[in-house]
Amino acid sequence: MFGQWESLVIFTLLNVMLTVGVYVTAMSGQLSLATAAIAGLGGYAAAILTRNFGWPFVPAILMGAVVGAFVGAFIAAVTLRMRDFILKLTTLAFGEMIAVVAFNIDYIGGANSFTGIPAYTGFWNCLIGVLIATYLAWRFDGSRLGFASRAVRDDVVAAAATGISVLQVRVVTFALGAAICGAAGALQAHYMLIVSPQELGFFVSLNFIIFLLFGGMHVLWGAMLGATVLTILPELMRFTTEYRHVLFGLIITVVVLFRPQGLIPRIPTGVSGRFSRAGKTARQQAQ
Amino acid sequence: MNLFLQQLLNGVIIGSTYAVIAIGFALVFTVLRVINFAHPDIFMVGMFGGLLCAKYVSSNFFVVAAASALSAGLVGLILERAVLRPLRGRDALMTLIATLGVGIMLENGVAALISSDVVAFPPVISRQPIDLGAVSVSKPQIVNLIVSLISLAIVSYYVRLTPYGRATRAVAERPDVAAAFGVNVSRVSQVAVTLASMLAGCAAVSVGLLYGNAWAFIGLAYGIKGFICILIAGNRYFEGVMLVALALGILEALITGYLSSTYRDAIAFLLLIAVLYVRPNGLFGSYST
Repeated sequence: MFGQWESLVIFTLLNVMLTVGVYVTAMSGQLSLATAAIAGLGGYAAAILTRNFGWPFVPAILMGAVVGAFVGAFIAAVTLRMRDFILKLTTLAFGEMIAVVAFNIDYIGGANSFTGIPAYTGFWNCLIGVLIATYLAWRFDGSRLGFASRAVRDDVVAAAATGISVLQVRVVTFALGAAICGAAGALQAHYMLIVSPQELGFFVSLNFIIFLLFGGMHVLWGAMLGATVLTILPELMRFTTEYRHVLFGLIITVVVLFRPQGLIPRIPTGVSGRFSRAGKTARQQAQ
Repeated sequence: MNLFLQQLLNGVIIGSTYAVIAIGFALVFTVLRVINFAHPDIFMVGMFGGLLCAKYVSSNFFVVAAASALSAGLVGLILERAVLRPLRGRDALMTLIATLGVGIMLENGVAALISSDVVAFPPVISRQPIDLGAVSVSKPQIVNLIVSLISLAIVSYYVRLTPYGRATRAVAERPDVAAAFGVNVSRVSQVAVTLASMLAGCAAVSVGLLYGNAWAFIGLAYGIKGFICILIAGNRYFEGVMLVALALGILEALITGYLSSTYRDAIAFLLLIAVLYVRPNGLFGSYST
């Protein structure tokens, strides 16, 4: 349907879905650097089920999400007592460990990657996945759990003092975000037809953090916008060949230096401010 | 027994290469409280600076080392001015991402300008192994060890005994109070970052000589290991970082020798998680609350 642009469109959709997953986890202040590992695990799980056990596609994706949720819940439980910065680093360590272990298990192909996966993913699957993920994130945003997780993000002690169970909030948000990532990983596995341990590493995870920060960490649309722009941009810059990555690094650095709140900030200004309640409140207060 | 001794020695050498990068990392981490992800890439720039000097200018070890220290230090200086200073005081994650961006630029810039493949490092020091009876060692390995020890000595001396060093420690503990006492925080940060970069440059030459080649993307592997070392050790004592790096190297070498090399990288991460679970501020604690 899209001809040569098909893979770009699908990758953009998948990246948006993964970034939404990171956004949900980040809502409770747990910025996860294990995203790629979780997605990879979801991919492995689903691929094993479809290739070795002949499961149909949709249940396999759901299992990918379940695997992601379990791993996410585990990581959240382990890092419960950890502070802000150390938390992020521990998730990084987890991600890398999972990557190394995946590298060495021969049942899933080890360093030679897991191949022979049936090609089930197409444009519509990914679109539906993104829509479901966005819907989940949107409902989560406005729910009591969403407010509770924002409270935990802003001030753990104060949140606990108002009776919020920090354990519950953290574990559930991490699991939810990780489930989305797992499902996205499953989708990706059935598009790329291969799951390789290299994709589980920390630099891939960092990519999604960058998407999130670039677009705006506090707003759902920011996550989606960031993922879309930063996936499409390197492709559009293809004409600059080898200096493409240098330009990419430059863009990242400049954005962080000059607009650290991302493209869509917490108090929406500009275009996005016209259409949201938060923006309207901000403008009223400014008068 | 021979295997044990040899692996012990190998471990010490590998550990000293980790230490040599980790010390520069630690200096910046302690003083500025930020992770400078561009540090391993500054290391890489130093390596290429030395390589170009060795190829086109002179083969004298000290000249090459000076060239790489200068090139790395220059990049570090620019980095501090352009990126680290404006972001000071903001969330550490921002600095992490910004320096990562700079790192990507450096890696790919060097890869585009010179080569994205491995480039042979001119053998300024011969790599013939020397037999010491039970173990064998080569000159570059000894150089590595000496360089890391000297770096440690320089940093310790600087931090303990010079006025700027004491000012650095004050800034590490409480930048606002230090400023109130008349310390020029910007200048102190600048010196710290430049010093760390220059040390990284020297280290780069010795590592390049050890492995005989240089690669634009070498920063990744070393960066992560050095990073883990400072996390495990905590940012209170530089010597702690050195110790942890050596221990990590030895542990890796022993496990590679006795068990298998496949899980070698996982060990570092496992150790990190275990230590952070028990002592979230690192083994030797940290300055901050």
